[in-house]
Amino acid sequence: MAQILKTLGNPFVKNVLSAQETLAFAGVVISKVFSRRSYNSATKMVLVNQIYFTAVEILPLFITVSIIFGSLLIGIVFAVIKDLGLAEYLGSILMGFVVTELAPFITVLLIALRSSSAIDAEIAVMKVNQELNTLSLFNIDVLDYLFVPRIVNGMVSVVLLSCLFSILVLGSGMLFSFFIFGMGLDTYGNTLLNSTKFSDIVIMLLKCMTFGFFITLIPIRFGLRASHELTSIPVAVLNGMVKVFIAIVIIEVLSLILRFI
Amino acid sequence: MAKNIERKVGLFIVITTALIVASVVYIAYKKDVFTPTHTYTLASKSGDNLTEGMPVVFSGFKIGKVEKLELNDNGLVMIQISVPRRHVKWLRTDTRFVLEKPIIGTPRIVVMTANFVHPLLDEQTVREMTVTSDINEIVKMIQPVLDRVNSIVTSADKLTAALASPQGDLSRTLANAQVLTSKLSQKDSLLEMAVADRESVKSVHQALTQVKDITGQVDAILKKVDAMAVKTDASLYGQDGALVSVSKILKDLLAKLRKLETTVDNVNRLSTDATGATGDLKGLRLDIEATIRSINDLAGDIDRLIPLKKEPEIRLP
Repeated sequence: MAQILKTLGNPFVKNVLSAQETLAFAGVVISKVFSRRSYNSATKMVLVNQIYFTAVEILPLFITVSIIFGSLLIGIVFAVIKDLGLAEYLGSILMGFVVTELAPFITVLLIALRSSSAIDAEIAVMKVNQELNTLSLFNIDVLDYLFVPRIVNGMVSVVLLSCLFSILVLGSGMLFSFFIFGMGLDTYGNTLLNSTKFSDIVIMLLKCMTFGFFITLIPIRFGLRASHELTSIPVAVLNGMVKVFIAIVIIEVLSLILRFI
Repeated sequence: MAKNIERKVGLFIVITTALIVASVVYIAYKKDVFTPTHTYTLASKSGDNLTEGMPVVFSGFKIGKVEKLELNDNGLVMIQISVPRRHVKWLRTDTRFVLEKPIIGTPRIVVMTANFVHPLLDEQTVREMTVTSDINEIVKMIQPVLDRVNSIVTSADKLTAALASPQGDLSRTLANAQVLTSKLSQKDSLLEMAVADRESVKSVHQALTQVKDITGQVDAILKKVDAMAVKTDASLYGQDGALVSVSKILKDLLAKLRKLETTVDNVNRLSTDATGATGDLKGLRLDIEATIRSINDLAGDIDRLIPLKKEPEIRLP
């Protein structure tokens, strides 16, 4: 019995401790993010590069995915609510589901798949190659130089791309509703406006920032856990990505709870 | 290269931020965030289904929202609603505020204004809000149906209890049927079971046989009657049948009657003429009587003048 309890308790305690360490690390990073001294020319250059590689480079793919996926989704939503006779709830569905839930989720998935894994691998490689120690030897704060730009980049990119996704989906929905379902543009606009709540938009923005924060923070944290062996790199990436996925689910659930409180 | 990246990133951030800001400003403008609003206060006995931000609707259009809910010292829920200036015209002194609770969808405050000639509603006036609920209305409508269903279920319950009871009508009927079938299995026929006497069954059988014979005889008689009817039919309705002759006679009689009618007409005419002539005869008779009287007078005169009788006789009165 004691052995069973130990078997169950050990990973639980490990996970709790890990979460605690991650949150403590998050606290340190947040204080750095909001500190003006963290931003120097080198940090700014890294931040610009990170935004470029995370958000700008992905734009063609992201816009294509947004338009195709958004049009399909809007078409399905239109057809279903028309069949069910719930056309008056079109706005609520689009704003409540597409804008506040789907846009951040799709965006964070894309960025996590592309950038989080890259950050995780990059930090793990730097750890293996002793580059982090080298930077410390040169009195370069790795938090300022490496972590803060990446985390700020994550927050900015997820927020901007989520909003872009929402605008593109609603735009394609407008065309879809006009050409396929014969709904007037004014009607479509008013339907959306009547269902728009600023509280939902604020929650969406906060959620995007939280997503962006954790999908960059967790890979950094797990990249730092890599040992000095090359074989520890894939392990760090794997563990980091799993934790990123868990973090996405937890944030999504918490945002839902927050919305319906 | 670095400059190029910076330019692209800057462009991306500027365009995306501009899009977001434009969208938010547009939504804010359309949602009357920048429009001055008027605040009205409603009172309700209950705060159920009331939430801050819930819509205030007039004719299906949102014209405002609930800003604040609070409980006053009298236990009434005070509801502050904000209405943009351009929608204030829909609120008059006779306006009613109703909290609607649809089955599907969120509750809302519906504004009902019957007459727009009344003055605008004063912001300081506290109006009472009534509550309607689709669910309650449906429950009210369904209640009589449920009562009837309940009554039917009770009756069905009683019926099933009666069916299941050993002392019940059905059980007794089944017991009787069982007795009957057992008795029937012991008898040769249902009739024997009914009369409970084998001799009677034989008598009934004989009577039935006789009935069969009688039926055969009646059948023969009916055949004869049928044959007679055929003959009668021929004698009556045949070519030389009685009815044909009667028909001819009647036709002849009709022709003669037509002739006789002419004769009768002539007789009538003659009698009419005779009636006229009778009038003339009366005059003639009077003339004759007058003539005879003259002749008599003349004969008297002659007798008086020329006594032709041998012995004139004078009679005295």
